[in-house]
Amino acid sequence: MTLPMQTSFTQRSIFERFPFIPALGILAVLLILNGLAEPNSLSFRAITGLTKTYLALMFLAVAQSFVVFSSDIDLSVGAILSLVNVSVVVMIDQLGGGPAAVLFACFAGILVGVLCGIFNGIVVVALRLQPIVATFATGILFTGIALWVLPVAGMPVPQSFWRTYGGRILDIPFVFYVVALLGLLIWLAVRTRFIIQLMAVGDNRLAAYQSGLPVTRIRIMAFAICGLFSAVAALCIIGDTASGDPVVGNAMTLYSVAAVVLGGTALSGGSGSMLGSAIGALIIGLINSFVFFVGVSSEWQNFAQGIAVLLALMAGVLVTRRISK
Amino acid sequence: MPRLSLEGVSKRYGATVALRRGDLDLVPGEVHVLMGSNGSGKSTLSKIIAGSVNPDGGLIKYDGSAVTIPSPQAARDLGIAVFYQELSLAAHRSVVENICLSRLGKSRGVFRNRAEMAAMAEPFIAPFQSVLGDGFGLDVPVGRLRADQRQLVEIIKTLAANPDILIFDEPTSALDRAQVDCFMAVLRELKANGKSIIFISHRMDEIFEVGDRVTIIRDGETVSTSALADTTMEAILRTMTGEEASAAATADTAVARVQSKGGPAKLKVANLVAPGVDNVSFDLAAGEIVGFGGLHGQGQSAVLRAIFGVSQFRSGDIEVGTAKLRGKSPRAAIHDGLAYVSGDRARDGVIEGRSILENTVPIYALRKRLFITSPRTLGEKAKAALEKLQTKYQSLAHPINSLSGGNQQKVIVSRWLMAPPQVMLLDDPSKGIDIASKTELFRVLRELASEGMAILLYSSEDAELLEHSDRVLVFNNGRIVRELRGDERTRYHLYQAAYEAA
Repeated sequence: MTLPMQTSFTQRSIFERFPFIPALGILAVLLILNGLAEPNSLSFRAITGLTKTYLALMFLAVAQSFVVFSSDIDLSVGAILSLVNVSVVVMIDQLGGGPAAVLFACFAGILVGVLCGIFNGIVVVALRLQPIVATFATGILFTGIALWVLPVAGMPVPQSFWRTYGGRILDIPFVFYVVALLGLLIWLAVRTRFIIQLMAVGDNRLAAYQSGLPVTRIRIMAFAICGLFSAVAALCIIGDTASGDPVVGNAMTLYSVAAVVLGGTALSGGSGSMLGSAIGALIIGLINSFVFFVGVSSEWQNFAQGIAVLLALMAGVLVTRRISK
Repeated sequence: MPRLSLEGVSKRYGATVALRRGDLDLVPGEVHVLMGSNGSGKSTLSKIIAGSVNPDGGLIKYDGSAVTIPSPQAARDLGIAVFYQELSLAAHRSVVENICLSRLGKSRGVFRNRAEMAAMAEPFIAPFQSVLGDGFGLDVPVGRLRADQRQLVEIIKTLAANPDILIFDEPTSALDRAQVDCFMAVLRELKANGKSIIFISHRMDEIFEVGDRVTIIRDGETVSTSALADTTMEAILRTMTGEEASAAATADTAVARVQSKGGPAKLKVANLVAPGVDNVSFDLAAGEIVGFGGLHGQGQSAVLRAIFGVSQFRSGDIEVGTAKLRGKSPRAAIHDGLAYVSGDRARDGVIEGRSILENTVPIYALRKRLFITSPRTLGEKAKAALEKLQTKYQSLAHPINSLSGGNQQKVIVSRWLMAPPQVMLLDDPSKGIDIASKTELFRVLRELASEGMAILLYSSEDAELLEHSDRVLVFNNGRIVRELRGDERTRYHLYQAAYEAA
């Protein structure tokens, strides 16, 4: 048979296959800019430090991607992160702080994240509320619980926790293993049947329903996975800050959305790239460090960051538009 | 024993009955044609079988035992697959992913397997091999395909579900002759394999070519099922419309019809091409009301929206009065003397939550380029316009939402009358409004026409369309296929033209 069996290379443009390419370009530009502003910023040490700080945002951006793919949005990811953060810290403290306690608390924390995600999913999908408003509200709710669990920031975690996170295994920093793990998870996730269904739901919800897909279940699953990744982001934050803070993640929510968009994913759903979201998180990190290295005075840092993020978004959008023509 | 039978199935939406009594029995190895005029309930009936509409009453039997079909998923599990007219494809996903979409959840394994999916899809693509056209490929995103290719993908997707019952709702509208032939061959093969097929089409030749039996639905009730071999086109049209071929236009038409005065052309449309519109040309004279008829969604609204500049892409020449239409936006169209009233008030008409005054004056303000004005002077003019349609409202300051649907629509029409346009484009204007308002609306329209306005009217209600139009242009698949004048303006002729049975 001479069926249309050409390889996918000729049937899909390179940008259709790898929507994160513009983000990669922006990342490269920012690396160069950072290098020009402060050559030391490209040292192994500095890159390790940057990764350490922005690993949580990378996980959070990947978390956000799942719901954005299905044409939803989760404005409670930061609050989930905060809640998991304080839950884990308090649990470790209550259980005595031994290695077993740390492990148990981590798993319990991930469970908390998943439960928060399922709760979001039920509120948005089963009760048919607007995701942007509903998750805004559940986010406040989660923050409320977090404040009840640990009213003020503090309560250090055992040395073993942050020593591991900041340490090295076989002379390679621990965080790079986590980055590799994230990469592997993304590599696996894009190869699942689930992601095709998820994208189809985001592309055209009615069509997916009419095709017999369990749309409700798929969307709730997306929120649950989002909760799971947000919880992992919380563990990274604990590793980085070594203590609990009931509002640590709240400011990160919209950064995660920005990272998703910077990574080449459309908020309208149905297409995009998780790897792009992770790169988007790094872009935000590099923008912040660039603004710092250039020596912008502290009162103008926000202003400069805003301009830079805007420029990055414009560059990404313009490139994507040019390509899709 | 029939494979699927529906007995007295009904569905109502609020006060309107979509389907009063639907009966249908489907046996293995047949192509069962479903026919009915607009709003007769044939699409409701097929949606009930597809699981996307849940019936209020009646009995559905599958292989002799009663079943419910609460969702499309449940329908799939029963072995029912549906070709959706508006297509059920994900634009960013590849052809093969779309084809296999509904089976993804069923098969084992966590990971996708492109080779497996391709192997699954290929036997279903093979019959269409020679007519797929350029740019088709398993990994091409569906959004990049042409309309006919997308329709083929939807067909293949329906086949790939391996169902026992297939529902095809207008599956050939975008296909060319060779593609239709391939599809017909596939239908015959399905039939030979004992599958049951429900076929909805607006093409009489296709219906007679491939159909075995025909069930006709009229006004929400199944009126007959017969073998196509034993019946004729005329008999089907008679049953469908409940009219004889020779029957003249409804005699009791109260409105004195002004014969077209052959006045100067107010609107000239030549070779209009737009989404859903395929090379449409016609003239509209001053004082004329011209109706757009045919089965729903054959391009009637699309033409009106294209003329008004709502659709982004269009080609062809449009002249209003004696001047060419300049821009391609509603704003330009308004300045050139066009008006557009839609039945979808929420989308195209009402400014939600704002006062009646604000809802009445925007067009006037735009056309007169008002910069600063006072509510008092504007209010007087607005009142006069509202008065003309006998709009009932408490005060101009009340929000528009406080009015009934009928009065809201009167406000929208008044909006245009404050600065009278040359041509009014009416896109199902009486949808969802009460009888009294309808009567009032059409009285005023006739009055406006007699004063020299030219009016294009699309109505989803055939009776209304036939009664109020001086002539009717019948649409089929984006083209005008026939013009009905004088005594030809009957439901019978309308459907004869709509089914291309002439």
